[in-house]
Amino acid sequence: MPLMESLAQLGRIGLGIFERLGRGHLLLAHILAGLGPLAVRPRLLIIQIHSVGVLSLLIITVSGLFVGMVLALQGHYTLSQFGAEDSLGIMVAAALVRELGPVVTALLFAGRAGSALTAEIGLMKATEQLSGLEMMAVDPVKRVLTPRFLAGLISMPLLAAIFSMVGVLGGHFVGIGLLGVDEGAYWSQMQAKIDLHEDIYNGVIKSLVFGFVCTWIALFQGYDATPTSEGVSRATTRTVVHSALAVLGLDFVLTALMFGD
Amino acid sequence: MRRFNGRRFFACTPSKPVDDCKTGTETIRAMPHSANSNEPLVKIRGLRFFRGDRPIFDGVDIDIPRGSITAIMGPSGTGKTTLLKLIGGQLRPQAGTIHVDGQDVHRLALRDLYKLRMRMGMLFQSGALLTDINVYENVAYPLREHTRLPQSMIRKLVLMKLEAVGLRGARDLMPAELSGGMARRVALARAIALDPMMIMYDEPFTGQDPISMGVLAQLIRRLNSASSLTSMVVSHDVHETAEIADITYVIANGEVVASGPSKEVLNSDCPWVRQFMRGEADGPVPLHFPTKRSLEEDILGEAHRKTGTCR
Repeated sequence: MPLMESLAQLGRIGLGIFERLGRGHLLLAHILAGLGPLAVRPRLLIIQIHSVGVLSLLIITVSGLFVGMVLALQGHYTLSQFGAEDSLGIMVAAALVRELGPVVTALLFAGRAGSALTAEIGLMKATEQLSGLEMMAVDPVKRVLTPRFLAGLISMPLLAAIFSMVGVLGGHFVGIGLLGVDEGAYWSQMQAKIDLHEDIYNGVIKSLVFGFVCTWIALFQGYDATPTSEGVSRATTRTVVHSALAVLGLDFVLTALMFGD
Repeated sequence: MRRFNGRRFFACTPSKPVDDCKTGTETIRAMPHSANSNEPLVKIRGLRFFRGDRPIFDGVDIDIPRGSITAIMGPSGTGKTTLLKLIGGQLRPQAGTIHVDGQDVHRLALRDLYKLRMRMGMLFQSGALLTDINVYENVAYPLREHTRLPQSMIRKLVLMKLEAVGLRGARDLMPAELSGGMARRVALARAIALDPMMIMYDEPFTGQDPISMGVLAQLIRRLNSASSLTSMVVSHDVHETAEIADITYVIANGEVVASGPSKEVLNSDCPWVRQFMRGEADGPVPLHFPTKRSLEEDILGEAHRKTGTCR
């Protein structure tokens, strides 16, 4: 009997996961269906880009600066072993544009903007604001969720680009200002070796995918949250955990597809 | 059984074995002119709705006559709010039909359902105001969403609606700055913004001080007659609700246990109704939530199962 009960429990968990996945995909389809009507009301999108993107700028720039500075320190230590300090610029830029920019931005985005989205939608549900919209004959998914989704999708590549740019400046500050690397070599190597398609476009694609997934997870968790304070709290935690796992897993897959032989 | 033009009502629906329930008669007040004024605005037939295995409604029939204020009362957890959500099409019943103004709510296409909802206002228990915009914008919201009126016209309409609920001076406040009673009045102004044919009030008096309660009751009554509305008030505040309602339904155990003119229901001899109206803790509507295990089994556990009896 315990074996059967365990199997039944396993089955229930599996069914629950598939049910949530199904609900998540249905919600995504509903969100995407709202993109057309959103085109005639750009103000809704602008407000959300401000909330999701502009208000994330501080954490993104500060983090980018420190990540660039640390990269320069670590890179200089390793490169100097081989007498290749002049390659510091290319090392910092490639690491940022290909990997750290999109990935760290997505992780920070999930923690800052994703959790805020989940909490906002979850609380709107708990305080019956979403029901209220429905009863006013306004589709809450198209009116509330779609602008936030598109804002996340647009903001993520821009935030990742800003992160990389500030990181390169941080690397410059440490490499040239503190460690004495040649400034001309720092910039010229970067200019010569960073490829628009191979590096920058692939980085943009990664951040677009991460933006899509992180915002989708955040909105679904909020919309699907149990409408209680505990339910919203758990949903917010799930947003950060699921987003982080999804970003790291997808990063491996995307990196293998883009740069694997 | 439930005829309105025939002016015949009943005081208790004996779907449960309630022998001492009596039938009563009363004339309800004049109804507004309507193309289908003979038909009730909301007609519910054989409604069955379950949450898991627990029946919330098990074969419920309700009629909401046009132009009336109809109270739906019952103890907490009997599904009063659920009933409003079923009428609004936010929930789907397992069986039965709900017709609003002749349209079967659960057979409508989404577009038609939204059109119908534009003619139905709902006042949520919490007010459900959008917290990121101020009072004025909240009331203007449905007008901006569903009409192409110029800003000057929207302004006039919003101020008129706020004046009707006595909150024209509070138009610049944010929802967080309002008291509970004020928030409900703003929500009421928003609910009447599109001049609906009916308004559903979900527990409008809960948690209100006596003054706010009186103001809300007066507003509901005044709006109903001034705007030729049909109102449904879901509440367990017996006296405040019965005072303004023309007709009262009492729901318990998933069924309508009593219905009819409010005064008759209030003074009913029916044990179900009497228990609720007098606030008795136990009676036909049990104090205890149903459970499959006895108290002895729950408390004594294994020891009880072994002995088979409780000593």
